[in-house]
Amino acid sequence: MSDTAVPVTARPRKPRPQLTTYLLIIAIVAFTVFAAREIGLKWSSFIDMWTNPLWSRFWPVPWEWVFSRHNVFDPLIETFQIAILSTIIGCSLALPIGFAMSKLTTPNAPAFWLSRFVMNIVRAIPDLLWGKLLVTAIGIGAFAGAWALTIFSLAVMVKLFSETVDAADPLPLEAARAAGGRHTPAVRTAVLPEVFPAYVAYALYVFELNIRASLVLGLVGAGGIGRVVETQRATFNFDRLFGILIIMFVIVIIIEQISVAIRKRLV
Amino acid sequence: MIIFDDVSVTYRGGVQALKNVSLTIDDGELVVVVGLSGAGKSTLLRALNGLVVATSGSITVDGTEVVGASTKTMREVRSGIGMIFQTFNLVNRTTVMNNVLMGRLAKVPAWRSTLGVWRAEDREHAFQAMERVGIVDKAYVRASNLSGGQQQRVGIARALAQEPKIMLADEPVAALDPVTTHQVMGDLQRINRDLGITTLINLHFLDLARHYGRRLIGLRGGELVFDGDISEVDDDTFRDIYGRAITPDDLLNESADA
Repeated sequence: MSDTAVPVTARPRKPRPQLTTYLLIIAIVAFTVFAAREIGLKWSSFIDMWTNPLWSRFWPVPWEWVFSRHNVFDPLIETFQIAILSTIIGCSLALPIGFAMSKLTTPNAPAFWLSRFVMNIVRAIPDLLWGKLLVTAIGIGAFAGAWALTIFSLAVMVKLFSETVDAADPLPLEAARAAGGRHTPAVRTAVLPEVFPAYVAYALYVFELNIRASLVLGLVGAGGIGRVVETQRATFNFDRLFGILIIMFVIVIIIEQISVAIRKRLV
Repeated sequence: MIIFDDVSVTYRGGVQALKNVSLTIDDGELVVVVGLSGAGKSTLLRALNGLVVATSGSITVDGTEVVGASTKTMREVRSGIGMIFQTFNLVNRTTVMNNVLMGRLAKVPAWRSTLGVWRAEDREHAFQAMERVGIVDKAYVRASNLSGGQQQRVGIARALAQEPKIMLADEPVAALDPVTTHQVMGDLQRINRDLGITTLINLHFLDLARHYGRRLIGLRGGELVFDGDISEVDDDTFRDIYGRAITPDDLLNESADA
């Protein structure tokens, strides 16, 4: 065996973490402490806030009120309608815009920069503010909510989708171009099949987000179950509020499980 | 007829991949291009269909100038040139049929290919292309479920579906084992003979070139160092192309047996 032994040579030393790494950690800790002092953070408030009588009013839940059709069920249906409609419209628009936003599949430089610029602005405005603006512009109701969520879906979807397209294999596209294909058919035949499973997976995820977001949007008068939540909160019916939250919790979990199951089969 | 006249290609960053290359290829010829990695084999093929833009000189395909051609002209030229790639360049997540139909992109209106509404005659062309390389039974199998040799045949079928006059094969067998290598090379040789398609094949192994080629083009450092009949190739030619004497590693069969 000795003749097969490899002679011992000088080993390279394990590189030490750089000084900048230590400085960065110190800076983050220092900033956290500074920020906590600035906003007057008191650790005792974490305990104090649970002593508020508010929490005792969450129970018992008046289930007969919660399960009456008019109170919760109908607004919930409206929430679903808003979420489905805005997911479909938003994600449909995201398909061409997402392709324009990726270096791999953009038809030209102006389309690339324009789509990026517009989408950055759209994304900079939070969904709640879109809701508020649209309620002001087109009136209180589910219609404003559907529009707000359409914009929200589009903004989330183009981000996720265009990044997937960025990572797609460029070689089939080269083959499509070598065959003399025009831009759109080449992208459609060479790139879309590769990214479509991810696209559907993201659309399902966006639908989940929209169900949740419609709860928040109701707070600004944009229809759905959120409107009921806001009314009950404003009239201090915390027991009813808690009942709605439990139902929402169950629904979101169910949708998430279904969506995860479908997404697993897709990719 | 393909005419390269004093063609040079300089990539961004200054690498000169082709230096003043001139050559003429007649209709129906089968030409094998050999050379080391980076000798300019791939650039030579890609300059022909405009995937790489020639920096100077002139390339004509049946009288149409390729260098500086408009997008429309370039698409027309490309539609008559099938290309086969080392890495197959298939869309893995879709069927063999959809991959082969990509060869029909230039033949159908954009709305048809975008919506996936292909004409019956396009599907027929695709089937015939698959039959020619013996993969018609795999038409509705996902491309990713095929073996390497089968995938390269899908690549050939895709190129054939274009009804091309010229076929470019860029290291078509570099990713394949020796047995499938001979099958794929045999396919290319048969297609050249049966359909009279002018064929340019980049190869790494010289014995493969000897076995399948008639005319050999040797490139070294972007320059044309050999252009002649394969029977004229001797050890000196090899030294000209590879810059050293021939070794068993340069021969597919010897290295496979070793």
